[in-house]
Amino acid sequence: MIEWIPLGLVVLGLLWIVIVYNGLVSLRNQVQNAWKQIDVQLKRRHDLIPNLVTTVKGAMEFEQDTLEKVISARAKAVSATGPHDKAVSENMLTQALGKLFAVVENYPQLKSNENIMQLQEELTSTENRIGFARQFYNDIVASYHIKQEVFPNNFVASIFKGFKKEEYYSAEDADRAVPQADLSLRKK
Amino acid sequence: MPFTFIEIEEAKTRRIWIFFLVLILLHFAVLASLTAAAAEILSLPYDTFFSPRLMGWLIVLSLASASFHFGFATLDTIHFLHDNLAAVKPDPADGIHQRLLNIMQEIQVVTGNRKRIDCVVIPTLAMNALAAVDLRGNATIAITEGLLSRLTRPQLEAVMAHEAYHILSGDCRETTVAASFFGLPSAALGKISGGFAPGFRFSPSFLLAWTLLKLSQIFNMFISREREYRADAGAVRMTRNPIALAEALNLISRNWRGVGSIGEGFEMLCIVSPAAKALDETDGWRADLMSTHPPIRKRIEVLSKMAHQELSERIAKTAPTGRPDAARPAEPVFYALDPHHQWQGPYPLAELSALAWISPLTWISDGGAGIERAWKIPSIDPVIFMNRLKQDAMPVTSSLCPSCRQPLLETLYERTPLRQCHFCGGILIETAKISRIMARAENSFTDRISSLSKTVMKENQLKQSGHRAQNINRTMITLRSCPQCKNPMTRTFYSLAYLVEIDRCNFCGLTWFDPDELEMLQCMITNKMAGDPLVERTT
Repeated sequence: MIEWIPLGLVVLGLLWIVIVYNGLVSLRNQVQNAWKQIDVQLKRRHDLIPNLVTTVKGAMEFEQDTLEKVISARAKAVSATGPHDKAVSENMLTQALGKLFAVVENYPQLKSNENIMQLQEELTSTENRIGFARQFYNDIVASYHIKQEVFPNNFVASIFKGFKKEEYYSAEDADRAVPQADLSLRKK
Repeated sequence: MPFTFIEIEEAKTRRIWIFFLVLILLHFAVLASLTAAAAEILSLPYDTFFSPRLMGWLIVLSLASASFHFGFATLDTIHFLHDNLAAVKPDPADGIHQRLLNIMQEIQVVTGNRKRIDCVVIPTLAMNALAAVDLRGNATIAITEGLLSRLTRPQLEAVMAHEAYHILSGDCRETTVAASFFGLPSAALGKISGGFAPGFRFSPSFLLAWTLLKLSQIFNMFISREREYRADAGAVRMTRNPIALAEALNLISRNWRGVGSIGEGFEMLCIVSPAAKALDETDGWRADLMSTHPPIRKRIEVLSKMAHQELSERIAKTAPTGRPDAARPAEPVFYALDPHHQWQGPYPLAELSALAWISPLTWISDGGAGIERAWKIPSIDPVIFMNRLKQDAMPVTSSLCPSCRQPLLETLYERTPLRQCHFCGGILIETAKISRIMARAENSFTDRISSLSKTVMKENQLKQSGHRAQNINRTMITLRSCPQCKNPMTRTFYSLAYLVEIDRCNFCGLTWFDPDELEMLQCMITNKMAGDPLVERTT
């Protein structure tokens, strides 16, 4: 009977390694998925902007400069490649959209336009989704790091080389300095 | 209670699991008591009944019956919402419903799309929301039209996050499991306590079983209250906006929250108790033992503390990094929560007074402990708000608004004199004068008012109003004090036909209408009398 105990312990140990390894793999994939979800939401915002521009350009003939800034900020955001470039260009797009909606406030016929209201709601929702996607990404990265670092999981994480630290999403300095564009439809 | 949402969530999860285990043990204790009672009645020796084999069978049978009950209870949960509460899918062509669909998507994003959650709208003016999961794993959040129309975007987001948390944390299933475990023993004891047949031998073990069953109900309610605190913390983790949830709860607590014939199992999963019992909002051991939901006041208190944590982070960011000038006396500064739920500041008093959006209900902090409504802070209240009232040409009365605690102004509506709050728009009027206003229809109604009123009309068509009115009459709640005599006002419906909630003072014959309520009532009555569709009178 006693001779079975070491074998049992070895089996339990292997089982524990399998569980921890699978947990780490699962979290690593969730982190990758969460990062891609941010891109999905950014793409959604890029797709909404042409509709917005088409809807407002007829009524805003004296505000072509504002519209052009939105179009060019969108173009830069779409073509941005690195994480830093992306963050900067997306921030510029947020500012340009904020200015556009501030200008829309001066056009009563646009303010009460059903299409504009819908687009504004869609953009507000997209802004929130981008924020939430980033928040979820950071939360899942934190869980992944905790799983890797706690004792005794850190042994398993070090045995298998595929688990490395992921970067947190953090606002750039410029992002912090600029107030967030208000695209909301909140009632006062 | 801990300070941050993460600590609260963890602490509550631990407590819920411990109490849930106790609940399961109580189930077996009830079962053993009933077995002992059966042995006493049949005059059989205990060892026959308590043999390991028989007890094993009893446990298997009990688990099978609980599983059977659970299966039936959860099989058609979603259909129950559609059939009994007339819940419908949101209409994407309706702007407000589209906003709900968008918010649902946002909640999916913040939870990492862990589970697909649908949403439905219950066509009632009441303000409540609940979550349900069926046996097939379909999850739905049901929200009332009244809540949907009256909450701001961040508030609605917070409520949806609260309900989504109930689904994702397994609260919906746990509630049904608990109900399933005690379903059969409750029915058996209910039958017995209903009356003894001639020749029935009473056994003391029945009394023990009954006591244990009552104890299990108390435990179940305790777990339910802990779940609410945890779901509040979970909602804050998702939205990072405790004040939005606190304000939503405050708004719901001041309005009718019944959602029709809903059943006990669902009651626990509503954001606030739909029964609107006075007991729910009181302190003391009885309320602590018998309520399915914690008092809203306590929930708001916990959320305010979380908001202060958030505010502290902002203060740390805005604090000057250089050495403070010790010679210069520090001018008091304030932080204020703007209408978009963002903390702004620090502002000296002069700058704070100049903010266009500040009102007596704005949340303010001086950077120290806690946050308070602006009207509660003595250094702000008389300075800012009295100055604003003086700018109005209308005469100021001695009556104070029950929400904002500011003097009401004398004004005319439909050529009838009444008292109105400059800040929140609430109206105080002699009850006898209401019929005058109802008979006049000089002002047209906005789309929003018509839409809200239409929902009530639908409500009447569903013929559920009578039942709800009876419920509320049995459990009248006094939430406000009369602006004139300071006696508690009674919250009730205007009438059984027109389910608009009002606060009445039975001592001096005054009625208080929250913002929109008077117009809604007028819109409903006018259109019903005229027999025209509501939309025809809209502007």
